[in-house]
Amino acid sequence: MYRFPKDLYADVRINENVQSNIYIKNGEVENNTSVSVTGAIVRVYDGEMWYSSVTNDLSAIQQELDDLAGLAKPNPDILNDPMVKNFEVNRAEVLIYDGENDLRKVGREQKMQLLEGLIADCVDDSIPEINSWDAFYNDTHTVKRFYSSKGAAITQDKQACAAGIYFQITVNGVTTSGGKSQRKMDLGSIKNLSQEIIAERDRTLDFARNAVDVTPGDYTCVLAPVVTAMFTHESFGHKSEADFMLNDKTLRDEWIMGKTVGNEKVSICDSGDMPNHGYTPYDDEGSKARETWLIKNGVLTGRLHDAHSAAVLGEEITGNCRAQSYQCMPMVRMTNTYMQGGSDNVEQMISEVEDGIYVYCVNYGTGQSTFTMQPSICYRIRDGKLAEPIRANVVTGSVFKTLFDIDAVGDDFELFDSYFCGKNGQTVSVSAGGPTIRVKSLTVN
Amino acid sequence: MKEKYTYHSVQSEIKFEENTVKSFNKIDSLDQSFRVYENGFLGVHYQKGEMSDDEGFSRARENLSLKRPYPYQPESGVRSRNKCERVLTDKELMDLARTCLSHLSEKYPNFILSGGFYQYHNDEHWVNENGLDYQNIDCNVDANICFKHIDSKDISDGWFSLGDRDFKPEKLYKMAAHYLGSFEKEVELPEEIIVQKQYYDYTEKLIESLNAEKIALGTSLLSGKVGQKVFADSFTLLHDVSDEECWHNTFWDGEGCVIPDDKRVFIENGVVLSGYSDKRTAKKYGVPHTANAGGNYTDIPSIGWLNARIRRSEKTVKELLDGRLSIIPVQYSGGGFNDKGEYVMPVHLALLSDGENILGKLPPFTLSGNMFDMFGKDFIGVGSDNPIFNDKQILVRMNVIKQD
Repeated sequence: MYRFPKDLYADVRINENVQSNIYIKNGEVENNTSVSVTGAIVRVYDGEMWYSSVTNDLSAIQQELDDLAGLAKPNPDILNDPMVKNFEVNRAEVLIYDGENDLRKVGREQKMQLLEGLIADCVDDSIPEINSWDAFYNDTHTVKRFYSSKGAAITQDKQACAAGIYFQITVNGVTTSGGKSQRKMDLGSIKNLSQEIIAERDRTLDFARNAVDVTPGDYTCVLAPVVTAMFTHESFGHKSEADFMLNDKTLRDEWIMGKTVGNEKVSICDSGDMPNHGYTPYDDEGSKARETWLIKNGVLTGRLHDAHSAAVLGEEITGNCRAQSYQCMPMVRMTNTYMQGGSDNVEQMISEVEDGIYVYCVNYGTGQSTFTMQPSICYRIRDGKLAEPIRANVVTGSVFKTLFDIDAVGDDFELFDSYFCGKNGQTVSVSAGGPTIRVKSLTVN
Repeated sequence: MKEKYTYHSVQSEIKFEENTVKSFNKIDSLDQSFRVYENGFLGVHYQKGEMSDDEGFSRARENLSLKRPYPYQPESGVRSRNKCERVLTDKELMDLARTCLSHLSEKYPNFILSGGFYQYHNDEHWVNENGLDYQNIDCNVDANICFKHIDSKDISDGWFSLGDRDFKPEKLYKMAAHYLGSFEKEVELPEEIIVQKQYYDYTEKLIESLNAEKIALGTSLLSGKVGQKVFADSFTLLHDVSDEECWHNTFWDGEGCVIPDDKRVFIENGVVLSGYSDKRTAKKYGVPHTANAGGNYTDIPSIGWLNARIRRSEKTVKELLDGRLSIIPVQYSGGGFNDKGEYVMPVHLALLSDGENILGKLPPFTLSGNMFDMFGKDFIGVGSDNPIFNDKQILVRMNVIKQD
């Protein structure tokens, strides 16, 4: 193993990644790629600063360690540094994707067959409004190894695959894109997508033919589970990441534990242990995953930490220190984050709305004090029933107000594995989930 | 016929959180793409890190079994371009970061600053057996500063960034004076809404619409409009890889094609001349080949690279404003263009400007517009100078929906 430098903390994280990608546009194969990349990041900490370097040559790791140690200042008391004290010394091998479900064992032909099957089922040349379509399959498998000067030695794996078809549908000179893709952790879970793709294709056709522009204003909104998932991640999830509030008295006072921050029907959790897209059994500084309840029955009960933020705020680590790849330093990130399902009947939730908007799906969202979501398909709710499709550009609301304005939480919880989350230039895989919820007032433009 | 693309990138970064330098990171990265042309097919092998030519080309040859069609001839030509002005040592970058951070922290104690100083040094090299030998070397330093007022309940209140080949702290301080110096002064929205902004955010839908394949398929907002005057007389848009203010762009496209003077006009005085294309799109749809293939180094090339510039006016930003005030969105998110080309964007933080200086902070509002109007009747121009944020900036009239 490595000779770690004296009087410094150091760790080594090695990623071995295999990815494949197939992309077919209007029947032509535009991409059929398989790429393998192995690389490592070497980090040294002296109590004041991190020093890191990245290499694709695993035989150079020892030299990198020695070189970085030369830049850092030796610190005989490094093991008493509050952050270093927080680093766990786990020794584990968690390989759950090296058996029959290992995507690396699936040949290109089988992946191509899966995609061609979806295309045969779902592409219908007789629909005149469909001008173009894109079908894709991609997968990724990573084995990650982590070693620290405190003695941690962890090997873990992770994988995901996705397939789908999107259609460009042109009506009256306006092109609307719609379709369906599914991302799961093994090939078997994405094999039978055809009916879902066809349903979304037809829904988008109806939307393109019949959607009317929204009249901007404030509406009672019912959010479908996939939209609640986005809302949960963007509106509250990012605010639960503790690294933004370390020396910020205003935010620490605002987000004090035990404070009521939403309706009692609202409970939000993050857990890296679930075998979903945010699966992180050990994070990128070697901490074991925890289930962290961020809000329980409307009350702030937790936040997400790495070893540094936990040390500064005097709280427990939560296993949420993650990096995009071996080329990046880790930071506090979500994993699998969801709003817990409730007991309200969804049909009844809609039937109680006299005039409102049902947000069926969204393209993306962002979160500050004001959160925003860009919807792709909405429907007007009139007299308790779904009515005409609505074309809207953006749904916004105040995080602080909206969590209290949630007056119904549905019993139809779903977890979605299709998300990627961006923060400070790094993108990591996450899951987000939730049930249908009703919000008394959101601004729709 | 063999071809090899090499991309060697050295990135040094100093990251700081809450006004304190936290890390020094160095990434020395080598990407190689080996290509073998044979009987109308292209075999490709992508390698991260070192690999001998023999092994790389051997794997590319194996990849020919996928029978990826590429019936186009490899390019030829010899040219080298080195745009580096100054390459800092890691110590110099660290000293620069510490100096700037210390200055900003002392000058603006009411702000919490996070972000980083980055130096990117890239060397791209493409050679083949058909006589092609192209190289592009570039280096720049970026400073990205995220700021948050100590009394704010938001995670962040905004950001500004400066990139330069010869980075001068004084320029960064001047930007900070604009963004931070006026933050605590609250002002009202003017009656006429003129947005002053780097134009990249607003050209995204237009660039998507200029894709020649989308135009041909009828899925572009510009389908059926080639040859027509669609935008303002003063609006000219070109692909420009000579752009001195863009870092690390090559002068060749993903198929090794070079255009005369490194420029090609797509919209001239409001008239759409053509969409952009790669070789496959040009052949398939019978449209002009414009050398806009993206650099796909793991597979065959495909359409998709446009370094879009809007031609500058001869007037400065101040002269274009002609006594009017402008608004500069700083913190905005969640909206964008819809399928119809309509633009809506909630703006959480914006500043009021006279074209040269910041006058204060505006209340939140939502911007709206339309792609055809923004580059048509509402287009005022792109100034000849780079005030406020050291970059090209558009002036365009838009509408505002006030927020409570």
